[in-house]
Amino acid sequence: MPYAAFSGPIPSVNLTMIAYPGTVHLRAGKRTAQRYTYSPFFPVLQYNQVQGLFFGGNFFDSRATGYLLRNADAEQAQHPPVDTAEMGFSDTACVALRLSQAEYRPLFEQVWGRGSFDIRFPPETERICNTPGGAAIFGGSATPIPLTPEDRTRANVVYDHWAQSIDAYGQSLEVSAFSSKFDAFLKGNYKLTSDEMAGLKLFDGKGNCNSCHLDGRGTTLQSGQTDTGAAASVNPLLTCFGSANEGLPLNPRDAIYYQTTPDAFGFTGNPLGFGYRDLGLGTFLRSGFGSAPNPNSTWAQFAPTTDGQMQVTTARNTAMTPPQCPTTEAPGPYFQKEFFHNGYIKSLKQLVHFYNTRDKYKYNVTSGHCPPGTTEKVDCWPMPEVPNNIDMTTGNLGLTDKEEDQIVAFLQTVTDGYTRPYPNRDTFTGACTTGGSARTQGNDVLIPTPKLPPCAGAVCAIQPLPNPAIP
Amino acid sequence: MNRLPLKLAMVVAVSSLPTSIPAATQVSPATNEASDLRITQGPEIERADPDFAIIRWATNNPGGSPEHFGVVLYGTAPSELNQSAKSPIRLNPGHSQTIFRVRLDGLKPGTAYYYRVDSIEATGKRDGVKSPVKRFAKREDARLTLSATPS
Repeated sequence: MPYAAFSGPIPSVNLTMIAYPGTVHLRAGKRTAQRYTYSPFFPVLQYNQVQGLFFGGNFFDSRATGYLLRNADAEQAQHPPVDTAEMGFSDTACVALRLSQAEYRPLFEQVWGRGSFDIRFPPETERICNTPGGAAIFGGSATPIPLTPEDRTRANVVYDHWAQSIDAYGQSLEVSAFSSKFDAFLKGNYKLTSDEMAGLKLFDGKGNCNSCHLDGRGTTLQSGQTDTGAAASVNPLLTCFGSANEGLPLNPRDAIYYQTTPDAFGFTGNPLGFGYRDLGLGTFLRSGFGSAPNPNSTWAQFAPTTDGQMQVTTARNTAMTPPQCPTTEAPGPYFQKEFFHNGYIKSLKQLVHFYNTRDKYKYNVTSGHCPPGTTEKVDCWPMPEVPNNIDMTTGNLGLTDKEEDQIVAFLQTVTDGYTRPYPNRDTFTGACTTGGSARTQGNDVLIPTPKLPPCAGAVCAIQPLPNPAIP
Repeated sequence: MNRLPLKLAMVVAVSSLPTSIPAATQVSPATNEASDLRITQGPEIERADPDFAIIRWATNNPGGSPEHFGVVLYGTAPSELNQSAKSPIRLNPGHSQTIFRVRLDGLKPGTAYYYRVDSIEATGKRDGVKSPVKRFAKREDARLTLSATPS
């Protein structure tokens, strides 16, 4: 929804199960809903030979590569309608069918051409599209609608054009607005408060956030210096389009771990249970469980060096909330959000504190088992879910409590809606939350992680193997 | 009718696109490589647990690819640094100094280790930094947050 920057709109879900229920309500995904704002600006996934790095793609594991459409965002749009845990269509042609029945069909035809829907759908199409994907009745087929080759091609073209239309909307100022205080600051139309300016200096300097959340500024800031540099980019995206493993603990609240038995349609979301590990980009490069086919076989060799890596999201709109709940931070009134790919972090204060102290307060425990005398997320960080390839740029930054707060203050300046109202931000009808502290926000719903079985073979025994092996 | 003008008209009608696409300018830049790379701080033990350690050092900014790896070669004798660990970091092109931190897992408690450090670009190209061989001891009772000076 717009008020959450097109991310997770329900506070109770953000607080607990973190992944959103799908059209089949007892199914859910495995990750937080990635913010849609600015996703159209991510390039097609590429392996840069000179830099030895992957750039681009969409989704946390970059599986929406843009390889076919040359547009990562359009391919991102194509996944949810046929994701068994989301909208759950059983066939991509169902998108064409539903568009052909929609009141905005004339608009689609005006853009993409009359005759777009000249597809002869067989009589059973409606029944097939009303049955969720993954249903046992389909026997594993991803194209159960028996279209002729010519009609299949037409349906695919509609599916592609629909995705490109979604991308155009996402790139519009309706969604990616470039209307934050920081945008105004870059144009000389807003004076950052002292805390916001201090936060920007820390973001660029001691916090080193802009080593990957690129903000387009000059960054050689030493003690006593003032940022007088002109913006290198007038509309920085606050990401480097790269990926990193930040060492997040496994979140036992994640809905994915509990979908271990067949649903009413004979579909099992996660037969691996707690044997599942989210290796992110590494699993995608292996075309592994829960991801999508890697379209470039030469990329697979890089899986062991990308295990655990998740896309570096834009910092823009991290703090966006509905106007009546003006912050993400307790005591509020606040709007409960979820941060990082598995929603383990529940406030921006925690997010910055994690970057600041992950290695200082590292304990060899899983979530829910911090030693007596410590407080999880305050002075105890459980072990990482994926110990390989952990980025060490951060983890022991030496920021003071006040400096953490100042970075949070800066992050709140990159929320759209300052220079002009953000469209439809006022549609939240729920209640805000009040009370508590941002440092321990959400800790009252922590549950103990069960004794973890070894990483399942369907994740960790796929060539090329993780190195070292993942427990 | 010709489809292309119609498409353009629709795009203009339904959305107001930004006038520039900044994506190409946002990818991390490769910076100039330092001509005289040197260690400016450490290496030192940032943290030592019974079976785990973090070794930390700083250099002037090596430049090159945005992602670098700190590398620690280590072993139980100064002449046998036959194990290695490496951890990625992101260079900040605007910083004059770069901090490398490397995680060492699976260490044996009660064992003395010798190590030296190095760093490489993501492509595997060495930065060319050299450190002396240093020693640290893994005590059985190493405290979780011990910050030890290399002995």
